[in-house]
Amino acid sequence: MKILLIEDDREAASYLVQALDEAGHVSHHASDGETGYAMASGMDYDVLIIDRMLPRRDGISIIESLRAEGDSTPVLILSALGEVDDRVTGLRAGGDDYLTKPYAFSELLARIEVLARRSSPNEGETGFQVADLTLDRLSRKVARDGKDILLQPREFRLLEYLMKHSGQVVTRTMLLENVWDYHFDPQTNVIDVHMSRLRAKIDKGYKTHVLHTIRGAGYMIK
Amino acid sequence: MSGIFRLLRTTTFRLTALFIIIFVLASISLLAFMAYQSSIQIQKNQSAEIQREVRELVRLQKTRGIRTVANAVQILARRAGPGIYYLGDDEGRMLVGNVSNFPSQVLSQNGIHTFDYSLEQAFPNSGKRRKHRSGYALVSSTQLDGGFRLIVGRDIVERRGYTSIIFRGFLFGVIGIVILSLVTGGLTAMRVLKRIDSISDTSDKIISGNMSLRIPVTKKDDEFDRLATSLNDMLDRIEKLMVGLKDVTDNVAHDLKTPLTRMRNKAEAALRNGVSAKERKAALQTTIDESDQLIRTFNALLMISRVEAGAPSGAFSVFDVSEVAKDIAELYAPVAEDAGIKLKIEAPETINITANRELIGQALVNLIENAIKYAGAGKAKAKQILLSVKEEDEQVTIEVSDNGVGIAKEDRDRVVERFVRLEKSRTEAGSGLGLSLVGAVAKLHKGKLILKDNEPGLRAIIKMPKAS
Repeated sequence: MKILLIEDDREAASYLVQALDEAGHVSHHASDGETGYAMASGMDYDVLIIDRMLPRRDGISIIESLRAEGDSTPVLILSALGEVDDRVTGLRAGGDDYLTKPYAFSELLARIEVLARRSSPNEGETGFQVADLTLDRLSRKVARDGKDILLQPREFRLLEYLMKHSGQVVTRTMLLENVWDYHFDPQTNVIDVHMSRLRAKIDKGYKTHVLHTIRGAGYMIK
Repeated sequence: MSGIFRLLRTTTFRLTALFIIIFVLASISLLAFMAYQSSIQIQKNQSAEIQREVRELVRLQKTRGIRTVANAVQILARRAGPGIYYLGDDEGRMLVGNVSNFPSQVLSQNGIHTFDYSLEQAFPNSGKRRKHRSGYALVSSTQLDGGFRLIVGRDIVERRGYTSIIFRGFLFGVIGIVILSLVTGGLTAMRVLKRIDSISDTSDKIISGNMSLRIPVTKKDDEFDRLATSLNDMLDRIEKLMVGLKDVTDNVAHDLKTPLTRMRNKAEAALRNGVSAKERKAALQTTIDESDQLIRTFNALLMISRVEAGAPSGAFSVFDVSEVAKDIAELYAPVAEDAGIKLKIEAPETINITANRELIGQALVNLIENAIKYAGAGKAKAKQILLSVKEEDEQVTIEVSDNGVGIAKEDRDRVVERFVRLEKSRTEAGSGLGLSLVGAVAKLHKGKLILKDNEPGLRAIIKMPKAS
């Protein structure tokens, strides 16, 4: 995956570039807004990671210009501002996701991988299948190995989100944001409890497990 | 000198000066009007008198002849007073009278005339020949039968003198009033200046650091006292905030420094000789966990201060608080169940409110996480948490009650205050700022957080208007 990182903090940027490299991605770095904008509009990237506060040109204005030119490359906004209204401003300007500093690299990686996948259209799918687990979005039925599994509405949405991003790491905050529509950081292991219930329903009694816990990052269905 | 300039620059003094100018202008126009009116009136009276005398003399000529007229004119001319009399022949020579040097126009044309003349020349035979004095005359000139010219008039210089007396009186009056008002204005300005000076002196001292000073309030209860009182109230509030800020700084120092020190110690210990690779890895993991906790505390602190400063109302929307409560109850029910607690919810179908959805959600989460923590530590056999949402006359009440350990009565009020944490909560997991944030969120929505005893346990109640 080809990634452009626009970030003025050189130390943070070089750490990110190296970490993305290790994760198997090609990343370019721009350290100010103007250079970043020129690179973003001049080359094709799969994902743009843009810091909000940049010298010479701020992140929001870069996104607005790109969107005005019809560039729909997914954008992840990085910001030290984490308030609800800051997030709204960022997303309204055309950002696709918003991550507050400081963040865990695993969180950032999970989010950009999901973002890059989003740009390939699979929104119209009527169902998902992972191994022998199937989810039908129309009849809202889930089955494993041909046997129906009864899920609560929320559990269905949880599984739907996981299966939509099968093969990708999904973090706890991503689940809270996308399944429950809340942007806070819970103190307790609230997501884990829901995941263990879901796991009990879809994996219990089967030899091969489809729902995996990725240590220090989140969950993955594969 | 600078004192006087300061006085001249005061609003009071400027207003006084403006009023003086207006007053003088008004007086002058009044005076002019009066002088004009009185001169018209006097002239009218005098010309009526003159006309009457002329009519009498004309009639005398008709009944008795010109000689009688000449006699009468002579008698009249000798009388003391402002009278002017003249009887001349058709060639302009004076026969009898007391004034001879009329302008030629007066001698040739009938009608009313006014003109300047010299009084010394005017009374050549009178004993009053003292100084060369100018006169001003109002006369009526009439041609009599036989070509005789009769002139009857009055010297109206006296009237002019009368006007000038009035004018002088007026002038002195005006000057007196001007001086009086300047002095009064100055004194008033000085008094105002003194009060203002006392306020600004106190302010200067406060600015230079003496925060406990207050502006002196007199017993007059005037506008300055009201100003001073409200400024003092403001100073009290500022002082309270400053003390609060100091507490906050101390708390932040404690809340952030302690885990930082712990983290540093662990990192140092991991670097020592003889520590296995496995132990080092574990130390690194602890460091990450500790820094996550630090970030969480920091975010909570930041959020509380942002909320207390008043979040922009743009983040307010209309949403169903009942649904949010049900969502969160559903989110936390499994967590509670794992801790052996039953989480129940009582909420009507819908209650739409205008508020910040994220913050209300966060507040509910904080209350429920607290309740799970404390209900779990309680001794009740059937541990349970009840989340209820009610609406009542434009007010919405969100209540989370548990039957856990509760909070002692004397601590209940303190715990809602910003950054006041119970000593024991410092040692437990979590930022311990949960209730402070709930309180701030309630306040932002013009509501409040009330803590009550649930006997046993705690009832945390958020009461706020449906639209704030």
